Amino acid sequence: MAGTPVPALVTRVVFGFLIALAGAIFAQILSGRIHTKFLLHGTRKDGSRYFSPERVQLLLFTLWTAGNYFVSAAQNAGRGILPDVSQQTLMLLGGSHALYLGGKAYFMLLMKQQIGKKEAGS
Amino acid sequence: MNSVLTTAVSWVALGFIAFLGVSVIYLIWTGRINLARLVSESNGDASMSRFQLLIFTFVIAASLFLVIASPNPPKFPDNIPSGVLVLLGISSSSYLVSKGIQFSGDQGLPGVTVTPAASHAKAGEKVQFSATVARAGDQAVTWTVESKNCGTVDDNGLYTAPAQVPPGVTMVTVRAASKADPAVSDTATVVLAA
Repeated sequence: MAGTPVPALVTRVVFGFLIALAGAIFAQILSGRIHTKFLLHGTRKDGSRYFSPERVQLLLFTLWTAGNYFVSAAQNAGRGILPDVSQQTLMLLGGSHALYLGGKAYFMLLMKQQIGKKEAGS
Repeated sequence: MNSVLTTAVSWVALGFIAFLGVSVIYLIWTGRINLARLVSESNGDASMSRFQLLIFTFVIAASLFLVIASPNPPKFPDNIPSGVLVLLGISSSSYLVSKGIQFSGDQGLPGVTVTPAASHAKAGEKVQFSATVARAGDQAVTWTVESKNCGTVDDNGLYTAPAQVPPGVTMVTVRAASKADPAVSDTATVVLAA
């Protein structure tokens, strides 16, 4: 296959597709066509919303981890090796997700207790 | 012969991939593939768990592409590091656990409850209904009377029985549907008396 233009063309086609897809999604997020309203808000069981710091930290940590990884991959791309993710980063990422899920579960549980108290009082 | 066949198959595969890619982008661009709720919950609010999964999927895909495309000729890496798999596992399982928490509970999915569930009304009388939307951001509902000429219901759930009850009609159904998701609804019945 070496010597034929197919591998280079495949690379360009896939590159073009990834760029176009990412561009389309990014443009639609910016224009509001993809809904991002209440991204940093949680919803309780009764439907009411609350500002959620655990979502903010998850967003920041996700962007930081993803950005670092992509830069690392770009720097090492010539070696043909996909870079690993360090244990420390994975532990921090796991902690960030645990915080997010814990906060979400807490508000759900809190609402259940409030509903239970209301029903017991009525 | 094998070389010619391999090249031919490669060109066909390339053409198919290119056609598929261009079609997907075109359909997204024209709105026929609707991405409006790509990172949204069923109630329309954006979901952080979906958003982070989208970001990690894109970044790992783009990184893998760079690693494959950079050598000449392009070459798939010998192994995928375990850390990358763990990262994707954390991201995906967090999404799944998040959905599990969200839809936990006795009733699970968003729902509408109309009260009173049943009532009586004479011709021209009014009945006040109320609707509660659970597990949805938008509490607004749309009220409708399912049978023609059997009264009206306003935006506040106030049902007014017809001045003259049509012959043969003894029961009317009033429905409240969530504006955020019209498929989520509940009904109440009104027994009409002349």
